Amino acid sequence: MQLKKKPIGGKLAAATCSLLGALPSTPVVAQEAGDWDIDTSLLYYGESDGRVTDVSLDASVRRAFDEDRALNFSLTVDSLTGATPNGAVPANTLQTFTGASGNNSYTAQPGELPLDPTFLDTRVALSGGWQQPIGENSRWNVGFSTSHEYDYLHLGVNTRYEHDFNLKNTTAYVGLAFAQDDIEPVGGAPIGLTPMLAERDDDDDDGDDFRGGGDQSKDVIDALIGVTQLLGRRDLIEVSYTYGQSDGYLTDPYKILSVVDPVTGVPVAGPVGGTPYLYLWEHRPDSRTKQTGFVEWRHAFDRDSLALSARYMTDDWGVDSQTVETRYRWNINERSYLEPHLRWYTQSAADFYRTVLFDGDQLPEYASADQRLADFDAYTVGAKYGRRTDYGEFSLRVEYYRQEGDPSPGSAVGDLAGFELLPPLTAYIVQFGYKFRL
Amino acid sequence: MRIRPAATIIRLAKLASLASLTALAAATGACTNVQPWERDLHARVDMQPNAHDAAIDDHIYFSKEASSGGRGFAGGGCGCN
Repeated sequence: MQLKKKPIGGKLAAATCSLLGALPSTPVVAQEAGDWDIDTSLLYYGESDGRVTDVSLDASVRRAFDEDRALNFSLTVDSLTGATPNGAVPANTLQTFTGASGNNSYTAQPGELPLDPTFLDTRVALSGGWQQPIGENSRWNVGFSTSHEYDYLHLGVNTRYEHDFNLKNTTAYVGLAFAQDDIEPVGGAPIGLTPMLAERDDDDDDGDDFRGGGDQSKDVIDALIGVTQLLGRRDLIEVSYTYGQSDGYLTDPYKILSVVDPVTGVPVAGPVGGTPYLYLWEHRPDSRTKQTGFVEWRHAFDRDSLALSARYMTDDWGVDSQTVETRYRWNINERSYLEPHLRWYTQSAADFYRTVLFDGDQLPEYASADQRLADFDAYTVGAKYGRRTDYGEFSLRVEYYRQEGDPSPGSAVGDLAGFELLPPLTAYIVQFGYKFRL
Repeated sequence: MRIRPAATIIRLAKLASLASLTALAAATGACTNVQPWERDLHARVDMQPNAHDAAIDDHIYFSKEASSGGRGFAGGGCGCN
């Protein structure tokens, strides 16, 4: 077994340091200096009712040069297809919407939740980092992240300093990350809370500024502080706090809100030059402050292990969320394991979340009907099976995710009372993994 | 029909946090140092976090929920659908 070949320092490092990381590093214990550890996977994420499907290839590479010096890279290629709710509510009539470029349109049948089928996206993400020891008990990490979609570019840098105390029973860390994202929506960013325009007769599909708001950007700063503490021979706990500040364009440039009659719930007619019914582009505040508290406990049994974590997040948009997650690792024998996984999540709605806007009401300063900002609960149930061979470790992970909110919130007046305004979202996640060493 | 009353989840989360923090306080207060030769279980592969899967999960949940981060820096960098 490889552990026996490791110097005691390697075990120390593994025991005290490996929980740390912008995301946790690949286990130090699984490495020998001079080896490349490669973790690859093919992921399928599929939502029900013909909504989003994502096929993703992921590869993480890590090379340890000695106990505390290591280089890591991670590459992800995502291919997204399907349809996503555009924010409008169902109606008893046919609804027609204009694609973002203005050169096409799509419809929702009577009673159907309007879904925008016009996106098709490929995302490529690359990140990397270097860990360097500073003296006997400290390490410094520097890293970068970047990702690109046809309408989105993310560039980020991050750094973290960690220090061991108390015979390496305690490790404290602080970190800072900065990101700048450029958003170049098809057809330009819309002006918030202005009407969706009708399809135009223009053969030139060059993504000009049909919607008037041009290109946009945002900056995100995250500051992190935390501590990992050994609690005896079998237990370990990590506690962290993250403060995040986002400034700039935080609106989803493709989401709208229906405007309906406050009594009948029927969509009101659109303006001259607009769609048949009135839809307004969503608009969110241009800053957001998030605070996140996280705690994780790990326990080693003689053969198996258990991890339990809880997360609390609150932001100045009015969203509060709680997450509880647990994994039990059942080491069936020396070569195979089964790891059941459960996750519960709940969040409150953002202050400016609206299912619809009512005709005649004064327009709010901000409004969004994005389901991701609604009040909902979610759970994930799944398991991972892994088997080590002479060629590396193969694994299969299958998970089921379900998100459910109030299907007919308080604003369900008239006709709207008969529709599911916030239908449940269900998805399957299937991941094939292969981990090996060069 | 909700999956589970939010209040129950909140209570669970708070309880877990409280229990963990209490354990941490007790441990740091008592300074029960684990010696280098007592770390065989902590060094086991299954006691290490899985960075690869964690990054994938973070991206999925970041795309579908209003929260992110916790296990380090928040995800980001996507105009997610």
